[in-house]
Parts: sequence; C-alpha cells; structure tokens
Amino acid sequence: MDLHILDHRLRVTCISKSGLEHYTHPLIKLIFLRNRTRCKFFSLTETPENYTVVLDEEGFKELQPSEHLQVEGSTWLPLNVVSNGNASSSSQAVGVTKIAKSVIAPLAEQHVSVFMLSTYQTDFILVREKDLSVVVETLVEEFNIFREEGGESVPVHSQDACNGLQRNGREVPHATVHPVLIPENQFCVMSLDPDTLPAIATTLIDVLFYSNSPKEGASVDQDMECIKFFSFSLIDGYVSLVMDTEAQRQFPADLLFTSSSGELWRMVRIGGQPLGFDECGIVAQISQPLADSDISAYYISTFSFDHALVPEEDIVSVTEVLRAQRKDMSS
Amino acid sequence: MSSGYKPDILWSPHHADRYVICDNELSLYRIGPAGSSETKAGALPLSEETAATLLAINSDTPYMKCVAWYPKHEPECLLAVGQANGRVVLTSLGQSLNSKCKELMGKEFVPKHARQCNTLAWNPVDSNWLAAGLDKHRADFSVLIWDISSKFSPEAVPTEKVRMSGDSDSGPVVTKPLYELGQNDACLSLCWLPREHQKLLLAGMHRNLAIFDLRNTSQKTFVNTKAIQGVTVDPHFQDRVASFFEGQVAIWDLRKFEKPVFTLTEQPKPLTKVAWCPTRMGLLATLTRDSNIIRLYDMQHTPMPFGDEVEPTIIERSVQPCSESIISSFAWHPSAQNRMVVVSPNRVMNDFTVFERISLAWSSTTSLMWACGRHLYECAEDGGQGSAAAEKDIATKMRERAQSRYGHDTVQVWRNHLLAGGDDPQLRSLWYTLHFMKQYTENVEQKQQSNKQSLIYSGIKNIVKSSSGTTETRRCWSGSDRQTDVPRYHSEERSLALQLCGWISRGPDIDVEPFLKSLEQEGEWERAAAVALFNLDIRRAIQILHKGASSEKGDLNLNVVAMALSGYTDEKNSLWREMCSSLRLQLKKPYLCIMFAFLTSEPGAYDGVLYESRVAVRDRVAFACMFLNDAQLPRYIDKLTNEMKEAGNLEGILLTGLTKDGVDLMESYVDRTGDVQTASFCMLKGSPGEVLKDPRVQCWIENYRNLLDAWRFWHKRAEFDIHRSKLDPSSKPLAQVFVSCNFCGKSISYSCSAIPHQGRGFSQYGVSGSPTKSKVTSCPGCRKPLPRCALCLMNMGTPVSSCPAKADEKADLTRDKKLAQFNNWFTWCHNCRHGGHAGHMLSWFRDHSECPVSACTCKCMQLDTTGNLVPSDSV
Repeated sequence: MDLHILDHRLRVTCISKSGLEHYTHPLIKLIFLRNRTRCKFFSLTETPENYTVVLDEEGFKELQPSEHLQVEGSTWLPLNVVSNGNASSSSQAVGVTKIAKSVIAPLAEQHVSVFMLSTYQTDFILVREKDLSVVVETLVEEFNIFREEGGESVPVHSQDACNGLQRNGREVPHATVHPVLIPENQFCVMSLDPDTLPAIATTLIDVLFYSNSPKEGASVDQDMECIKFFSFSLIDGYVSLVMDTEAQRQFPADLLFTSSSGELWRMVRIGGQPLGFDECGIVAQISQPLADSDISAYYISTFSFDHALVPEEDIVSVTEVLRAQRKDMSS
Repeated sequence: MSSGYKPDILWSPHHADRYVICDNELSLYRIGPAGSSETKAGALPLSEETAATLLAINSDTPYMKCVAWYPKHEPECLLAVGQANGRVVLTSLGQSLNSKCKELMGKEFVPKHARQCNTLAWNPVDSNWLAAGLDKHRADFSVLIWDISSKFSPEAVPTEKVRMSGDSDSGPVVTKPLYELGQNDACLSLCWLPREHQKLLLAGMHRNLAIFDLRNTSQKTFVNTKAIQGVTVDPHFQDRVASFFEGQVAIWDLRKFEKPVFTLTEQPKPLTKVAWCPTRMGLLATLTRDSNIIRLYDMQHTPMPFGDEVEPTIIERSVQPCSESIISSFAWHPSAQNRMVVVSPNRVMNDFTVFERISLAWSSTTSLMWACGRHLYECAEDGGQGSAAAEKDIATKMRERAQSRYGHDTVQVWRNHLLAGGDDPQLRSLWYTLHFMKQYTENVEQKQQSNKQSLIYSGIKNIVKSSSGTTETRRCWSGSDRQTDVPRYHSEERSLALQLCGWISRGPDIDVEPFLKSLEQEGEWERAAAVALFNLDIRRAIQILHKGASSEKGDLNLNVVAMALSGYTDEKNSLWREMCSSLRLQLKKPYLCIMFAFLTSEPGAYDGVLYESRVAVRDRVAFACMFLNDAQLPRYIDKLTNEMKEAGNLEGILLTGLTKDGVDLMESYVDRTGDVQTASFCMLKGSPGEVLKDPRVQCWIENYRNLLDAWRFWHKRAEFDIHRSKLDPSSKPLAQVFVSCNFCGKSISYSCSAIPHQGRGFSQYGVSGSPTKSKVTSCPGCRKPLPRCALCLMNMGTPVSSCPAKADEKADLTRDKKLAQFNNWFTWCHNCRHGGHAGHMLSWFRDHSECPVSACTCKCMQLDTTGNLVPSDSV
C-alpha cells in the first residue's frame, strides 16, 4: 500500500448561516470559474449548523476575514491511500472502512487528530502539518510514503528511526463516547463531468444558497427526522456531490454519475456538542466497529460534527453495533 | 483521444480511403482523387489532388469521449464509443450489417460506478477484448476489460433496486467485465503491447505508468512519472513508448523501464495528441492546444539501445498543414507514406503529406546523391557528347589535371596551363605571368645577389607605384615621316612591367619584334597587329594583317582592315577619323576595335582601349605602361586591380603579384570556382614568409591534399607534399614515429642522426640505395641486436635477401627499385607488435590475414582499415 502526501496545503474554515451572503461571490467563483482561480482543492459542506469550507491556500485568499468566518488555526495536509493493485480487491468494504485499521487506528493511538473527507473518487485524510513527522513515523512501516511535489512523487523516509517516536505527548483521558444521530433521509454520492458543471449551475446555486428559504420557520435542529446535508467538492478537477434524494430530484438525471446499482446511503452523525479539532480517535471510534463488521462507509468531517455514510441496507446492523459499543464503553 | 467536443480523426484500419471524424457525432468519409468521376458533387476538397465524400453519419451516441475502431476485417466499421458516464457502446457506420455485426450493435458495457471513460483500446490479437480506461472512483477499478462477445446476462444485472439508473435502454447491457485493474486510480490512457498481447500499458493518476499482465494481474511493473496523459507504442519499435503530460513528451524503452530514455523539449502549451508515424520509422508527431503547427521529432538517428550517458540526437521540425486555421486533431494515414489528415475545430479537413528532409551528399568524384523518403537518387556528371555545351565540374577538371601532373612543371612554368587542358584563358594568363615573374627573378639573381625578388612577385601594381624618373618621348611613326604627338613614357619600372606582360623579353633593349613573331606563329593576327600599332609601327601592323588574310584559313576581312588602317591620318577633322571612330564599334574583334580606338583618341584619353574588357589584361596594362603618365597610370592600375579582385579574375595576378592582394584575388577566384588546386600551386610560389602563412592559403592547400586523399591519389598527394616542402620548407612535417630500442629505450634513428657522416633516418639500416657496408643490426645506443623479422628470422637491418642484385642493376629510380628500398624497412602490427621487413610483410599479407608469428592469432591485416584500399593513381 502506498500513502501519498498530496501537494495541497489546506485550511479548514466555517461560514455561519447568516453570513453566507457575504461569501456567495468567492464561493461561486471557486465552484464555477475553475479557470479564474488557482484553487485546486475546494470542498463545501452544508450542515444545519453552518457551511464548512475546506480549501487550499490559493482558495483561502478569496475569503475575506469577517465575523462570519471562523478559521481553524493550523494548516492541514491531505493524505491519500493508494492500494496499488490487488491488495484488497476481494473485499467489498470500501472507503474509510478499508483504511480504518491501517491508518485511522494507528493515528488515533498516536493522538493525531484527523479530519476525514470522502469523495466519490477517493478518501482524503487531513492531518495537521505539525503532526506530519509523527504521521510518517507511525505509518512508515505499513506504507510506502510518497510526498507529491510539483507533480513528482518523492519517497519519504522516516527522518530518524532511532529518534524514538516523538509522540504527541498530551495524555488525553480515554476517549469520550459521543452520541450519534441517525436521520431518516437517504443520501446519494455522485459525480459529474466537470465540463457539464455549467449545465447544472442554476440548480446547484439554488440548492446551496437558497435551500433554507422555504423552510425558514421550522427549526432544523429539532427536526431529527431529516437533516439538511449537502456536500460539493472540486478537487484536482474531479467533482463529487453528496446530497439527499430530495435534493437529487432537482438535478437532471442524465448528467450525474453514480453507481449502476443506484445504491443509497444513510447518515450517522457523530457528536452532540461541536467536536472541535483537538480530540483524537473520533473517526476510529466509528470506523473500527464498521471495519470489524465489514461495512463500507463514507466519512465527512465538518467544522462541528463528523458524518459517516453507510449503505442503506446496513443501517440496522450499524445501529446495533454502535449501540453495543456504547454499552461497552459506559460499562 | 479527444476531450471535449473538438473533432478527432480515426483512420479505418483496413480501408486506406476511409476515416471517421468524431465530435458530437460520428461521420464517415471516403477520400479520393479530386475531380474524379467517383467523387460526387458534394465532395469536400482536402488538397489539390484529393477530396472527401461524406458516406454516413451516426449521432446515436451522445457524450462521446473516445472512440476506437475494431481492428479486424470483419465486421468492418464497428466502433466502440466511450461516453462521459463511462459506458462503452458498440456502434457502426454506414455498412450493410451482417448478422454478427447486428448482434453486437448497440451493445452496452456499463461500469459499476459511473465516471468518464477516458480511453479505449481493442486488443490487437484477441479482438473480442476491449479495454476501457475510466476516471477514478474510490471503490471501483479504473480499467475494465470487456469481452464484446459475452452474452447479455440478466443475472449480471444488479438485483438491487434500480432506482437511480432511470434509463430504459433497449440495447443489451453487459455489466460484468472480464478483468478489472487499477483500483483507486484513474486511467488516463492505455494501450496493448503489440509484442505480448496480454500485456497492457496503463497511464494513470498517482503518476504511474504501469504494465499489467492479464495472465497474472497481481504482477505489475510500474514507474513513477508525470508523463501520464497519453501513451502510445511505436509501431516500428515495439519497446519504444511515448507518453506525455502537459507540454512534455517522454520516450521510454520498455526493456529499461525505470526512467525515460529522454524527454523532448517542453512546449509552452499542453499537448493534445501524440502519434507515431505508422509508415516511417521513428517519426513522432505532436500537437499542442490551439496551435496551427504539428511538431515532428525524427528519432531515426537515435542509437538503440541507448547508452546511459549518450544523449540521443533527435531532429525536431514543424509543419503547418493548413496555414490559417488552428488544428484540432490529426491522424496518420495507415499505409500511405508520411501522409496525414488534419481537422480544424470547425471541421475543415486537410490532406497533407509530410515531406521528408532531403539529405544530400557530394562525392569527391562529381557524383551527387540524395535521399528522399524511401528513394535514393544518384546524379552523375554526364561526360558524354553534351560535355562541349556544359562545362565540366571543377572536381572532374581538378582530377584530370592532377593526373596530368598539373602544377608540377617548375622549369617551364607556362606549360602548366597546357597540362590543365590549355583551354582556360585565365589559367593561361596566370601561368604565363608566373613564368615571366620566375624568369625575371632568375635573371636578377644571376646578375646581382640583391634581393629584388620581393619586388617581382609583388606585381605590376607595386612596381608602378615605385616608379620614378619617367621620361617622355615623342616618336615618329616608324616607316612614315609623319610626326606624332603621342607621348610615350619610359622608365626602368615600366619596362620591367612590359617584361612581365610578355611584350618584351629580358635585356636592356625594348624590342617587341620577338613577341610579334611568336604571336604571328600562333596566328593571333589581330593581337599582333595591335601590338605593332601600339609600338607606333603602322606599316608592320598592316603587314601582319595582310599576312593574316593570306594565311591558311585566313580571314579576308583583315585585308579590308589593313586598307582602312593605311588610310590613317592625324588630321583632326578628317572624314576618316569620323568614320573610324563610329564604325569601329561594329568590329567584332576586340583588338581591331582598340586599334582604331587608339588612332582616333586624343593623346592621354585612351578609355576606348583601356576599358575594353575583351582585351587581355596584360595587353591593356602594357598599353597603359606605355601611354599613361605617372598620374594616370597608378590610378588606372588600382582601378583595374580592384576590378580583378572583385571578379576573381586570375589575369589580375599580373597586377597583384603573389602578395596579400593576390591572396584576396585568389580568394574570390576560389569562391567563384572552387579550384583549390590552382590556388595551392600558385600560392606555393609566393614568398613563404607572408603569403604562405595566410590561413586562407593554408586552408586551400590542406583542402587540396584532402581532396587528393579522397580520390585515393596517394602518390599524387605525396608528390604534392614533396613539391610543397621544396617551396615552403616550413611545411615539412616533423617526424612523428620513432623506433626505440627494446633494451635501452633510446630512439634508434635519433641516436644515429647524432653520429656524423651517417646521413639521416634509416639510411644506414640497409635502406640507402647502395649496398652499404655500414649495415647496422644492433642498437647504436647499447649495441644489443635489433628484433628479428618474423618471416626471415634475420635481425632487422639485414637487407632483404632477394633484392640486392636487382638494386645494383639500374641507377634510375624505377618503380621496382623504389619498392626494393622500401622492402628493407621494418614494419610491425600495432596490436600484436609482431613485424619484420616491409617487403616480407607485404607479401605475407597478400595471402594471409593473420599474423605470421605462429602462436599469434592477431588478424593484423583486418585491423588496418586502409590496408585494403588500392590507390587509384599510378606512381
């Protein structure tokens, strides 16, 4: 297995719902006018609380600081696991599940905080730049690590093997068990030929920026049956969309790519209180039991909460697994 | 493969006259000669000779991303179309469909997760196999190999809910690929390896080129590179692969797959298509975005396999198939040599043939050869009947002259122009000039040892400049008592100039009579008459003309001229003068013309004579020396000299002499004619100090020597070198080879040259002509014996046994004798260091190629690359 440290330096930001109107211009530019920006990594996720925007430094320049924009202080680097060939070709489980044991768990043990971003095409594991040496130390035995610089992949070796692991010294009390929320709506993960992006522009703008207007009255937070969740990412020219079936119906069917089986996903939201960025092991908490039961999953972290997507048909077993886990933890 | 909606071109693999243009629909065209009966009215002209006819259009498959043409004959015109959503559809164009084709038509191959299909490739052998390269998906493979013959299988259709797909396709759908490769990775381009049809070369995301073997998919070789946007295998050299990325093309050798063999110079714009020429080895065409040129890289001269350090040579050039519009795509014709069709974004097509660079080579023996494409042309000089009309090439002339020993007559120098063929007036003038110069030098040397040589060889221009003490005389016309008012000038320098012109011979008296006699002998009546007239002997002139008219093959008109001449009057306003000055221009013979010009001119205004270019320079100069005063003469000479220098006219050597000016003149002569032979021989006679040191002169001499070598005129070259070293002692080469004693290490020849009375070099080793008593068979330094000849086992220095008797017979240097002398030399192989008497070695290697020493297996003779060449001249 290869682990690639990609050539993006990312910032994780959050735009409040009320401040969105101040940012529509840069966001539209970043989404639709690819040729006008040098931003190569852009992800926008709408949750009931706020909009999480993950983007590289070129894109970050577009966002004017204001009271509506919260920025996480550190620079994050995306990691990407490449199974070169056959390693797990027989396994059905994909996504976070696949890397749960090899990446997520070891990093959690080393107290490295991770920010997950799954797309239609692949899974990105974001780590803080300052944690990179620890990440390399931790994973170097399992992976061939490459750092991509200016289009070339350069092999990375552990700087000093006998230095001992410079672990994150902070001793964190054993992981708190976070409550989970399983809303009723079904989600689909889709992609799009970037050339046809203009064809869905109006729909996309409608869904992204005006979705709240009709249901202004209803408090989304309380309505646990369905939660508003929409994610758009444009990374290295690849488009990825995550939306619920209700939003999906607004798009022309023939333009969006999805699996031929038309699989649907259910969401597990992790966290009752905003999780913050320092706590580690949250992803591991969810992904490990899923990996144990060989259930594939998408995982999208946002500014406040984490979101895992699991196949619709597996939601019952997932619920049980998580319930069992919580019992174990609390006992 | 094309991206977006720019049109791309595909040639039919089997019909050399059909191709498909694909943009948002597929259009089949047939290409044919323009204006033929076959082409219909709607034919689109592609070039001056060809036009295309639209045969069929297929617009069943929207969102096309890539197209591949089925490689087998049957069914023809079956196309696989890769779509933006990853589906691969089989379709056809304008053919009467047979049953097999019908079955396949409309068949769809659907990947599990939809994403763009980037590339398609049919397996060249197992033509049922179609490889499709797709964009990446987190949970799916990016390379799917479909078997187009696999049955539409309902059990393969997902049993799960089909809520999303939404399409109610009529065509059969295949969802189970034969092979899946490359998880978690995008495939941007792929191709089957022609040598091993089960191997697939993939270019993918994560910056890898990978080779998969379908027999064992877990095995793969891969290499990390940026150049992954497209891969294509050289059809002529199946281990050679080109791949590109942005503006850069990398060339790979699959046998050494670790790194590119080389990368081509980067283009400022991203590349859109890279294709090897199928009809020409090692020719790669590349196209960049929004460009109207196709760049060609000729790797013909690339050595294969490559060394690590050697940077292979590639010839890069570009062609512009259609001048104004940019090119969207191009495709090489599958069989017509170097031909391609290009298409512009608005679908204007152009038939275009890339012209091969023409390489051309002159041989040293006047034949010319050039190669264009697969043809080789040779062009030789026609030495046949037409040669009278067309002048021979200078190389032929020089060759013939070298054979006739041109330049080597150092006694009667003027004869060299006869050796040169005697038909070139310039050479004739040159050698006569040199002859007179030499004559005078010898004369002066005999008389006094003063160094006047420099003056002589410096030519009339310098002689006249130093002129002083000119006297002016007015003479009567001889044979007439009429007084002339024509002033004539005399001085020592002027008579010297006249000597160099050949008008008067050496000695104090200035009598032209011998010169007139010699002219009469040669039948140059007009010239003789003119010279006589210029010497104010009008009666003699009339005599000469009369003699000329009455001679064999004489021109009777000369009598008429003589009559006209006899009517000469110095009356200024006479009818005679008036008529002569106007009618003389109609005379065809230049010398007759200048005679009347002289008679009708005012004294001192002789432009009609001086600038009559058909008259030989020496005659004009002699005339000027007689009739121009000290102010006019140098001006005229300077003007004429510059004229000669510019024209490269060898007659001008008379004026310049062998000086710096002469080298300038000779330079323009060589520039005009290429005759380095004459230049070499001529300049060798110049003063060694200045002229011979001139780099131009050295260059001519070296080139002439090389030319002789190239003609294998080795003896001529040696002769030339001897000739040269006589005239220019500084050119004698230093000894380059020394023979040293095995025991003391001293040079044998060196140590003996130190001993007086022993002569130089090898003379005492039995080499000198006479049977010498001072045979030396031992080293003069340490008295140890010299090595033995491998054949006769005698110590070197012993004369070859069979020769001495013969050597005594004759004293003259016959060929046998010369060789006999050489027979005693010793020679050895530089490789095995065995050797012996040159004569013995020569006869041994006439029949053998191996060393004569029994234990030695050295193939001495084969190591000598020039040993088997035969000189093409005789000694």
